[in-house]
Amino acid sequence: MSSATINYRGLLKQVLSFALAFGIWFAPIPGGLTKEAWHLFAIFAAAIFAVILNSFPLLTASLLAVSAAVLTRTVDPGKAFAGFANASVLLVVVAFLVANAVVKSGLGRRISLLVVSVFGRSTLGLGYSIFLTDAMIAPAFPSNTARGGVLYPIILSLAQSSRSKPDDEKTRRMGGYLMFCGMASLSVSSALWLTATSGNPIAVSLAEHYGVKINFGSWIVAASIPILTMIGLLPFILYKLFPPGVTDTPDAPRTARDALRKMGPLTRDEWIVAVAFAFMVTGWVMAGTLNLSLAAVAFAGLGALLATNVLTLEDINLQGGTLVTFIWLAVLFALSSQLNELGFMGYVGGRLTSLLGGMAWPIAYVVLLALYVLMHYMFVSQTAQILALFDVFLGVGVKTGVPAPLMAFALLFASSYFSTITPQGGSQNVIFVGSGYLTQGELYRLGLLTTVFCLLVFLVVGTPWLLFVAR
Amino acid sequence: MVSTHGDAEVSSQKGSVVSFGRQWVALALLLLTAGCSRPSVPTAEIPSSGEWRTFQGTWSASGTRQTLALETNHRASIFDLTGSLLLAGDQGLGVGFQAQAIGFTDSLTGMQGRCVWTDERGDKIYSELKGEFVATGNHIAGTIRGGTGRYTGITGEYSFEWRFVVESEDGSVSGRAVDLQGRARLGTAAAARPGERSR
Repeated sequence: MSSATINYRGLLKQVLSFALAFGIWFAPIPGGLTKEAWHLFAIFAAAIFAVILNSFPLLTASLLAVSAAVLTRTVDPGKAFAGFANASVLLVVVAFLVANAVVKSGLGRRISLLVVSVFGRSTLGLGYSIFLTDAMIAPAFPSNTARGGVLYPIILSLAQSSRSKPDDEKTRRMGGYLMFCGMASLSVSSALWLTATSGNPIAVSLAEHYGVKINFGSWIVAASIPILTMIGLLPFILYKLFPPGVTDTPDAPRTARDALRKMGPLTRDEWIVAVAFAFMVTGWVMAGTLNLSLAAVAFAGLGALLATNVLTLEDINLQGGTLVTFIWLAVLFALSSQLNELGFMGYVGGRLTSLLGGMAWPIAYVVLLALYVLMHYMFVSQTAQILALFDVFLGVGVKTGVPAPLMAFALLFASSYFSTITPQGGSQNVIFVGSGYLTQGELYRLGLLTTVFCLLVFLVVGTPWLLFVAR
Repeated sequence: MVSTHGDAEVSSQKGSVVSFGRQWVALALLLLTAGCSRPSVPTAEIPSSGEWRTFQGTWSASGTRQTLALETNHRASIFDLTGSLLLAGDQGLGVGFQAQAIGFTDSLTGMQGRCVWTDERGDKIYSELKGEFVATGNHIAGTIRGGTGRYTGITGEYSFEWRFVVESEDGSVSGRAVDLQGRARLGTAAAARPGERSR
């Protein structure tokens, strides 16, 4: 293919993205929406469309979007830039910086060798080890972003121990597979436990208005079959969807044990990182009880690592990629929030669900669930979607005759597993996205396929199970 | 980071053929857009002058709330909420508005606020809010005091209940008002401009 042809394709995609923006912008504004809401939708939809088409990277699309939104006076500058001070965004950035300390100190390598010595006979085994570890620690972490901050350095060390590098096409896929396992694992483990993410208790309180009372025990019973099925199948599905290149490593456990012996006892830096991490994990687990800010706990950990010279300012300076992530995440977070605040999300949810009147409840149930999942393309926060749409969709489902517990659990679980649908669909994703092991196109493709797979598993396995246990 | 990786990807255009998966997603996004961008719902049902029209709907709102703790079990807040107000039923006031409310709320004495509903043409309806503290299950009453454009001179009243109000640690607040019911009638000024009544 000639370079001229390639440029033509790239240009065409960019023109298409701008055409979509202008097309929506100048289309008649639907009744019930304001000009600002409609115009912001034009900007946001075009930005996401551009990223999906690969006509612009996330950073470029985000910068063009936020500048267009502010310069056209669609969004106030204060609100457009509010994401830069958002606690969730800051937590992602700090977690990413702290992860470097785990790798640099050698603690990450030590933990990864330990994991490989047990599960390392195959890459698939490593994938399963990520899902199982996450599923076990999840109930203690009320924030899946914080949990991502714990898992990421271990997965990064696993990838590096396997000599997988983001910029080496031959070895990149191994790291990419492990990184996406981390993202997918967080999305389904959050659905396994009531306490595994902050959005779950909020949604449970909303479900109570429809007479659906859910506690820790009833949640785990309802989640057990569908979510454990997802956990059991996802590492293998991802393995097939994104072959990691390296498959069988029968000697890896023995090699890892040898390497562990050679490493000797923990070094000073490893001890400091271990203590700092233990402090942060304790803070994150107890955050709800002690009313602690998750981001502040992470800042304290990062500060301690800098103060003890485990991390240096030079290390921070080298993390230019973190700045890139910070900018696009903050921008998309703020624009998505504004889209919600301007009433667009509620409007679309309300209008779409109003079209379901008269449908048989099984059809309405499937359509509602699919719409709820697909609408996550427009959200950068799981909790934001729960607050904007959960009550609307549950109410419509119950009105059309869907059993309330079934509809409630369907939406509850979807509110977790839909987070991988886009790289920005959950702040925990961003930590893994930042590793650079997966390209933009791969992230969107795997995200969609993983989400659709979870949706299908839930419909086929979860629905009959819930009709049986949650009546 | 992904973006730098993405930059490299875009510049080199490795595998420039858009994958089936991405085409599917792009198509879905286009369909969503097309679905949303259908021509405006006609609002010919705007009430004529002097005729009472009833309306009902929901209001999904989000915004900020700053709370001042006073003595035990007593707190006061100022709030700023914006969101989509969707109307159903006989659509006596059209299909919906963007509704923004600001106000002062006290856990002992209740709430006082002002609200502006803005439609797709930028025409506004102004109302005053009174009622209980902004919290789950509490009731609010609104009195419509006028408007602009096709709502000039409008009067009426409405009420709603907060199905839920959720506040996060950063002071942001989200809520959904249900059972929003009311009635309104236009003033003579708006009625004298029939061209503005429908689209």
